[in-house]
Amino acid sequence: MSEFVQYLISGLAVGCGFALLGSGLVTIHRVTRVVNFAQGMFAVVAGLTAGSLLSAGLPHGVAEIVAVLAAGATGLLVGIAAIGRRGTSPQSALIITLGIGFLAYAIEIMIWGDNPHSFPGLGGAVDIAGAHLQKQYFLVIGAAALGFAALGLFFTRTYLGKALGACASNPYAARAVGINVTRMGLVAFTLGGMLGGVAGVLVTPLQSLSYNSDVLLITNGFAAAILGGLNRLGPAMLGGLALGVAESMVAGYYKASYQSVVALALMLAVMIWRASQHTALHEEAAR
Amino acid sequence: MTQQLTPAQARISFADLAARLRSPRTLAVLAVCATALLLPQILSGSDMPVYVTLLLSAIVVTGLSMLMGYAGQVSLGHASFYLIGAYTAALIATHDKPTWLGLLAAPFAAALVAAVIGIPLLRLRGHQLAFATLAMQLILLNVVGQQEWTGGDIGLQGVPRLTVAGYEFATVSSYAYLALGALAVVVLITRNVVASRPGRGLRALATSEVAAESAGVPVVAYKLVVFSLSAGFAGLAGGIYAFYTGYVAPGSFPVLLSFEFVVMAVIGGLGTIWGALAGATAITLLLQQLNELGTAEGMPSSAPVVLSYAVYGVLLVLVVLFLPRGLVPSARDWWVRRRRPNPEP
Repeated sequence: MSEFVQYLISGLAVGCGFALLGSGLVTIHRVTRVVNFAQGMFAVVAGLTAGSLLSAGLPHGVAEIVAVLAAGATGLLVGIAAIGRRGTSPQSALIITLGIGFLAYAIEIMIWGDNPHSFPGLGGAVDIAGAHLQKQYFLVIGAAALGFAALGLFFTRTYLGKALGACASNPYAARAVGINVTRMGLVAFTLGGMLGGVAGVLVTPLQSLSYNSDVLLITNGFAAAILGGLNRLGPAMLGGLALGVAESMVAGYYKASYQSVVALALMLAVMIWRASQHTALHEEAAR
Repeated sequence: MTQQLTPAQARISFADLAARLRSPRTLAVLAVCATALLLPQILSGSDMPVYVTLLLSAIVVTGLSMLMGYAGQVSLGHASFYLIGAYTAALIATHDKPTWLGLLAAPFAAALVAAVIGIPLLRLRGHQLAFATLAMQLILLNVVGQQEWTGGDIGLQGVPRLTVAGYEFATVSSYAYLALGALAVVVLITRNVVASRPGRGLRALATSEVAAESAGVPVVAYKLVVFSLSAGFAGLAGGIYAFYTGYVAPGSFPVLLSFEFVVMAVIGGLGTIWGALAGATAITLLLQQLNELGTAEGMPSSAPVVLSYAVYGVLLVLVVLFLPRGLVPSARDWWVRRRRPNPEP
């Protein structure tokens, strides 16, 4: 039982990271139809920035917020490259974000070197049901829950959030009522960058990040997001949590080296199942 | 290039042949072939491995370019077929079977795996297929790194030299000629596929699967065949690679290698054979130059890696934004426009 609680809580904490990454992907894809391959990079940038700022003497909290803002700025830059030029198809934009991922590798290696980095999170641990749990797990879960609540309020209660929703459901109608769709796309990229950044600063104390951690982060984030067809936030969040717990259970009860295989196989199964529900006719009719 | 010749047209007279030989296109092909054949004699010892790498990449990229450009299917995991080919060849050769059998089996093993996993995977489209192929490679790398019979993370070492009918491929230049021969076969197959009825079917399904299906194109079968074919090409290159380097390990086939193949295909120009060759050549040579620059005196130790990533990224973004069709088609358009200032209607 104690083992189970241990795996469950640590899985939920890691899953919060995936859920945040996934919701960033969804936010961007809904508005711009672009699958942002650089989403994992936002988390890496934020995690590494937070580590550097902390070791430079900034207090906890300030360093993390600055890192998230830096990730948001990175998101804006990616957005400008990906959708700033008229007539870039979503498929080309995917390749552009792949290219930006390469560029980010170069910059990250120049600044932080190619070793994994981490920073201490919330110290100490608590015992629940016989399980020894780091306090950082609860911090991650709490912060992610706050983030999701804020995101929900943003999309339902603010003009900007509603404008984003309008662009997502019908870009043409949105333009007709005077919403600048390209600018909304850039807002979505910035928001996606910040969501990735939150994931990065929360997860880095749990598992160290290096410049090329982004491939695994993006595949897990994509796996979470694909549950909602890349368009719905709720399933993306639930998917992220389920993925985190599943990986943690596999690592705990079976073999740690197979945890990423399970996640990837799960993602493939979900995608293929979804594809059997949506034929080419549906997809091309929706264009 | 695509039209069928009637028997009358097929009887090419001597004058026709001579005229054809003088066309800039034929001359260019002949010049490239001659250069490719002469290069192993001219290049110095340190440049030869670069040439072999270039040729192997070109083999993979030709198939990938056909898959992405003609059939419109994105694969971000093509290095997995390279891996399968290399491991097949290495496993057969290290189990005391004839080495030529290994080279022969490599493309078939890769194509077979592609055909099997393609049945579920090719139901996916666009970015979903891209992520699915990427996931497939991550799974494969993980599994190969943990099996006893594949040698785990260390891989298989001591792969013997390739021997065909008593001739041992021992020197680097012999592998260059082997790779060149393989590339010629791959280019010929691709050219014929593209110019055939299935080739036109592929172009149709890339635009709209529904329209192609209604017009009688067997969409599922064609997608599967072209996926297997391009995987077979990658497997062939992998087989040569295994004999050439003498060892295979999961670390030699990272996800980044798959991305590199995509970069080469996109930069050269998707859906053209010349684009694939030009992309592989341009990127390989550029990386070689950058590597020399990065390892020059006074540069930090991370310089080669930083430079190559930066150039990959910048090139990919710039080409997709400003030359979306790639180097070769853009250059060809420019050439045609220059020669014919007023295009015929």
